Amino acid sequence: MTGVKTADVVELLIGQHMRIRDLFTQVESTAGKEREDAFRELVCLLAVHETAEELVVHPEARRVLEGGDDVVEDRLLEERQAKELLKRLDSLGPDHADFLPALAELRAAVLEHASYEEQYEFRYLRRTLDPERLAQLADAVLVAEKMAPTRPHPGAESATANLAAGPVLGLYDRVKDAVRSALSR
Amino acid sequence: MSFNPLEHRGIPLDRQLRNWRELDVEPTDPDHADPYTRCRIITMNGIEVEALMFSHHFARQCPDMEVKRKLAEIRYLEQQQQKVVNWLLPGTASALETTIAYEQVAVDLTAWVARMEPDPYLTQAYEFGVLEDFDHLYRYANLYEMVQHRKAEKIVDGLTEVIPGRPTKYHHRHPADNVRTPYDKSTAAPISKLHALTIMSAEQQTMNFYMNVGPQYMEPIARQLYQEIGLIEEEHVTHYESLVDPGETWWERLVLHEYNECYLYHSFMQTESDRRVKAIWELHLNMELEHLHAACDLMRANDGREPEEVLGDSLPEPVTFEPNKEYLRELLDTQIDLTTLGEGYVRDAHERFERMQAAIHGGEDPPSERVIDDHAALFDGADYRLSTEGAHPVEELRR
Repeated sequence: MTGVKTADVVELLIGQHMRIRDLFTQVESTAGKEREDAFRELVCLLAVHETAEELVVHPEARRVLEGGDDVVEDRLLEERQAKELLKRLDSLGPDHADFLPALAELRAAVLEHASYEEQYEFRYLRRTLDPERLAQLADAVLVAEKMAPTRPHPGAESATANLAAGPVLGLYDRVKDAVRSALSR
Repeated sequence: MSFNPLEHRGIPLDRQLRNWRELDVEPTDPDHADPYTRCRIITMNGIEVEALMFSHHFARQCPDMEVKRKLAEIRYLEQQQQKVVNWLLPGTASALETTIAYEQVAVDLTAWVARMEPDPYLTQAYEFGVLEDFDHLYRYANLYEMVQHRKAEKIVDGLTEVIPGRPTKYHHRHPADNVRTPYDKSTAAPISKLHALTIMSAEQQTMNFYMNVGPQYMEPIARQLYQEIGLIEEEHVTHYESLVDPGETWWERLVLHEYNECYLYHSFMQTESDRRVKAIWELHLNMELEHLHAACDLMRANDGREPEEVLGDSLPEPVTFEPNKEYLRELLDTQIDLTTLGEGYVRDAHERFERMQAAIHGGEDPPSERVIDDHAALFDGADYRLSTEGAHPVEELRR
């Protein structure tokens, strides 16, 4: 994403979908420490991305899209299912024999979910909202990203790095709290 | 290895119909499938679409009710084959990703055919066309990184280079200059007829695909690029279809279509890396054998000729998807500045070409140029390229 000027929330989220997709491949094709790191990065990005969507994008979709409530409910159901799969993966750990099959299941669920968002939510948001609003939403998503760095560096014991430590579901909650407080400022 | 489809029987026609469960194939994976598996799927879809549209056109001018019924029966089965083949593509891949895969097909399939074609005039036609598809791949790859924030190397996987070819803006020729001299049906080698049919079908499918998915995009530059390249696909279909001898009878053409389907399914069965997809190629070959026999019976009855007169005695070497990087670089080095004049090729920008260029561009840069500028504006002043074999062979096209 370096060197890319992003002014539109849809563009930003599609970019994150692509990074998520590539990170899945990276986790699958590496081992040991490398896999562990790639998996952490994937988990952080998923947490940030889904939180940003939940707090920033879905409410907007409910507000402006015809049938928006139902579209968002479908997406939230998929997100809950994905979180369950993620919880299971996290408890297995990257070295477990069942890790890769479970990861494949999560990957299929996440890629499908992302496709549905792009087709049934994002394109309509872009049609309905004016460029300024799309840019505002992009800023809000970037705030969410800052709250939880997607590439945690060991040793950097800042408040934000701490967000990435610990079990994944806790991470989701911590990211959500951080984004809420940032948005209400 | 030698296989003569005329000597093998397949699945009887009355046992070929598939139910919903059998038609419901699991798609391939958008990120893990062999890129050449995706290329074979796209190729066979184009072949099936041509087979069934040919059959429709045949039926529309055929007064014999018995023949019409036989064509309808086989065509329905071919529709089922098309559904199975094209539904192997995953719904999670975007239209633009599939577009890049279409261009990878156009590059590596046309390059392979050009290398294998025995007739020098036909070889020239494929060499001329492949440098244009090669440039389309580069233009769409730049669009892809702009709108989807992802690099085309994730799709082509380093098997095909993504660098400028003959610049797309120069592909817009006067339509009369897209008509080539056909081969002579009585002297052309059977392989030449199969090649022409294969590339014509692939380009026709590309033309149809772009005319349908182009307007699904919202980004103005995407909509415009699909229009521009879509019009070049019209030129390519004109170019390749005119290679086919129009003196072939409808019966002969029906036999050639069915024979070509046998050839390609047989080829892909031998080169397929995905076991599940390979089983589909094998099943479809066994269906096509009976379609071919039915076509041969119609030819004997209506043309009073033996199919052996127009077909070889065994299938040619299997059509193979493989990298053609060195071959393409050689063509870039020697043929980048060609255009067409009448039925031949020239290096001069002749008057009719200049007139067409002035009229279609209207004094502005076309979308294929603007997509590169727009990309550069977003990505630190650079275009997107995937260059694995060193500097571009044409100095002016280096960065």
